[in-house]
Amino acid sequence: MVVLNFTLTPQAASKLHDLLVCLGKFSDTVAVEARREKFTFTALNSSKSAYAAVTLDGKLFFTKYECIPSSGGPDGRFTCSMYTKALLSVFKGRLYDPLGRDGAIDRCEVSVQERENETQCRFIVKMVCNQGVIKTYKLTYEAVDVMHALFDRSVAKNYWSMSSGVIKEYIEYFGTKTEMLDIFAGEDGRCVFKSYTEKISNGKEILKHPLVTAVAVSTSDFEQFTVQAGTHIVISVKDFKAIVVHADTLKTSLKAYYSQPTRPLQFSYGCDGLLCEFTLMTSGDYTGAPLTSTPAPQTLGSRGASRAPLTVTDRTSIRSDMPPPTEPASRRDRSGRLRNPGSRQSSSAAQEDPESLFIPDAQDARRREDDEESAWAPLDYEKEETLGWDASADHDASVFPTFRDSGSMSTTNMSDSNEVFEPTQRVSQIKGLW
Amino acid sequence: MDIEDPPILTAVSSSARQLYLLLRCITSSTKAHVQISEEGLKFSVDEASIMEASAFLDKSLFTTYNFNPPTPQRNPQQSDDSEDEDLDPPNTTPTFQISLPALLETLQIFGLTDPNTTKQSWQTSAAFSNNVLGMNNLCRISYNSLGAPLSIILTEASVRTQCDLTTYEPEYSEDIPFNRQALAFKTIMRGSWLHDALSELSSTSPEQLTMYAKTVRGKPFFALSSSGTLGSARVEFNNQPQPSAFRTPASTNLAAGAGTGTDAGEQAPTNLLETFQLLDPDTVLRSSYKFSLIQKAARAMSVATKVSIRVDDQGVLSLQFMVEVEGGASGVGTSSGGGKVSFIDFRFVPLVEDGDEEGEGVDETMMQYGDGSDSGTGREDEDML
Repeated sequence: MVVLNFTLTPQAASKLHDLLVCLGKFSDTVAVEARREKFTFTALNSSKSAYAAVTLDGKLFFTKYECIPSSGGPDGRFTCSMYTKALLSVFKGRLYDPLGRDGAIDRCEVSVQERENETQCRFIVKMVCNQGVIKTYKLTYEAVDVMHALFDRSVAKNYWSMSSGVIKEYIEYFGTKTEMLDIFAGEDGRCVFKSYTEKISNGKEILKHPLVTAVAVSTSDFEQFTVQAGTHIVISVKDFKAIVVHADTLKTSLKAYYSQPTRPLQFSYGCDGLLCEFTLMTSGDYTGAPLTSTPAPQTLGSRGASRAPLTVTDRTSIRSDMPPPTEPASRRDRSGRLRNPGSRQSSSAAQEDPESLFIPDAQDARRREDDEESAWAPLDYEKEETLGWDASADHDASVFPTFRDSGSMSTTNMSDSNEVFEPTQRVSQIKGLW
Repeated sequence: MDIEDPPILTAVSSSARQLYLLLRCITSSTKAHVQISEEGLKFSVDEASIMEASAFLDKSLFTTYNFNPPTPQRNPQQSDDSEDEDLDPPNTTPTFQISLPALLETLQIFGLTDPNTTKQSWQTSAAFSNNVLGMNNLCRISYNSLGAPLSIILTEASVRTQCDLTTYEPEYSEDIPFNRQALAFKTIMRGSWLHDALSELSSTSPEQLTMYAKTVRGKPFFALSSSGTLGSARVEFNNQPQPSAFRTPASTNLAAGAGTGTDAGEQAPTNLLETFQLLDPDTVLRSSYKFSLIQKAARAMSVATKVSIRVDDQGVLSLQFMVEVEGGASGVGTSSGGGKVSFIDFRFVPLVEDGDEEGEGVDETMMQYGDGSDSGTGREDEDML
């Protein structure tokens, strides 16, 4: 039997409304994960290109918070999924009214009813209003396993942070129909937010590129700006707007972390025990990126939404000793021909697939190839990189399916059993083969 | 042949908007029965004989109200059911049907040109009486003879609009019987509370609305509940704040600070449930109604200052709304001096209870919360039941 009870102030309930509105822009359902000391809402959009997690601190955000999961001990959790719409009908706007008018609440009590001897499992929200009115909602929920997208900030070399209020002014210039947002760090001390669309309307035989809006911002307007000059990163305008609008309700500054196009980008902000993290798939203009001596296998600027899913992995079982996040696996998954040791060796500049996260630049990659095996730190990405290699397979560069298979296998295992794969072959051995 | 006779009804109102606001509350079907009497005009609509709504336009709403009952001999077209008792009073209250949407449209013609009404401030209209200034705006309603059209003449400045609305033979319809003498439950509360509750419940897109009333340790308790596919919702009304309200210091500080500022003046003296009468205080009164029908009264709830909720021994629900229209002539208002008070009535036939387990479950938890104790056990509730 799960014990989950918490109490919210009107202000906190109103924040809950705001964040649900934001998550509702990503997904119809929102997943809930309650742990002993924190409560998390997560949302994953249908194309699995955007993942949002809002973590509420048990002590700071709630006036009272109690969660005793039925199993799992201190790391146990209670997870479920609910319709965002249903939650929004409970956590309406204007829950917090400083004037205490009708409809304003005094407090909000939430509990979960899940008992063996009850036929009904319900997520119960009790709004205690002033003057003795109590509104009780019992929402149905679905028991689901909640997944989390992992994002490693240590690889995200590019970082900026800016007041959400300022960015909100910028997004107002973006056309309503635009889909993509290119964030470009120029070399002249400016950062350009460019919204555009690549939609082609075939019905009328018109190629439509309706409105392109570029907002150039001096990097000095950012609170912090550490981005490699010339980096383009492309995300969805809709997601960006949703995030900025929500960040603005909290009046905090928005921080962005990313490495390079096609690698995930994370927006993060929060205050008062509320931490929002949005991990978005990116695409980008490879021609401007440092890595792009090879034509990209994917079409340029293909929508992030149409890409393969982010790999979401259960965080419970991934401890700190777990090697790297599983994105590498998914990347291999996505373009099955990536991990081809032969090609990597043969041509220095062309060997890197632009999608590769792990080898930031050609020199680096080459240097690494020459490194001793011992240099491959056990917890490093390169080890993860090794995982996809199937030593038993033919190392002929033309046999792509081998690597694709090994890649997908790795993905499956990572997310399902969380088994840690050891390298199946010494790197030095492989070297000899090349 | 009736030309020499005085018209049956001549009524002049200085504000068509008043009439519009009142009649709008009952707009739910195409035709409305109109009953003219010495006291005023009664408009009533019904829905499949399981709901009826009526608005009474008291003669005090009109600056001039002349009613000349038709002589019995001259109304052969009067309804047949009263034929054999020609000289009885029923004959003297002419009844006919009229298209309510058309009537509302007519009254709105006036509103469209009136700067005061174009603001669309319907929701708060009762509180503002700036329309009193528009005294040059006149609405004259006349009904010359039986079978004649109802003519409405709207005058604004130099513009005069006359609309003749066709009247129809009244349909034979029986009122929903409501036994005032055998009330199972009665309570009076603010209309906005009920409106708020209903809009909360509508979020679950429910089929039916269930009403609970009981007495918990001498304190009245009234709840509305509904359930849909996504879950259930319940709105409870307790006369006193729950003792556990002070469990959370942070929120109560704010709420109390904000609440007492506005509430101390008007809310503290009056309870949430002003009147609370339960025929049998030891049992829980529970009855269900079709939600979509109750929702038709939503507009009345939003404009009403008070609503009297009554359930008779058969479960028939009567909602009587007291609507304060902006004051013009001498206040007939009983409770609050100033504005005139009109009443709008709704009656609903209850749904037959099946007493399924789901309902019981709702009931049980409701008892828990009603007690105000989170640890209220089921056993205790059974004792109460």
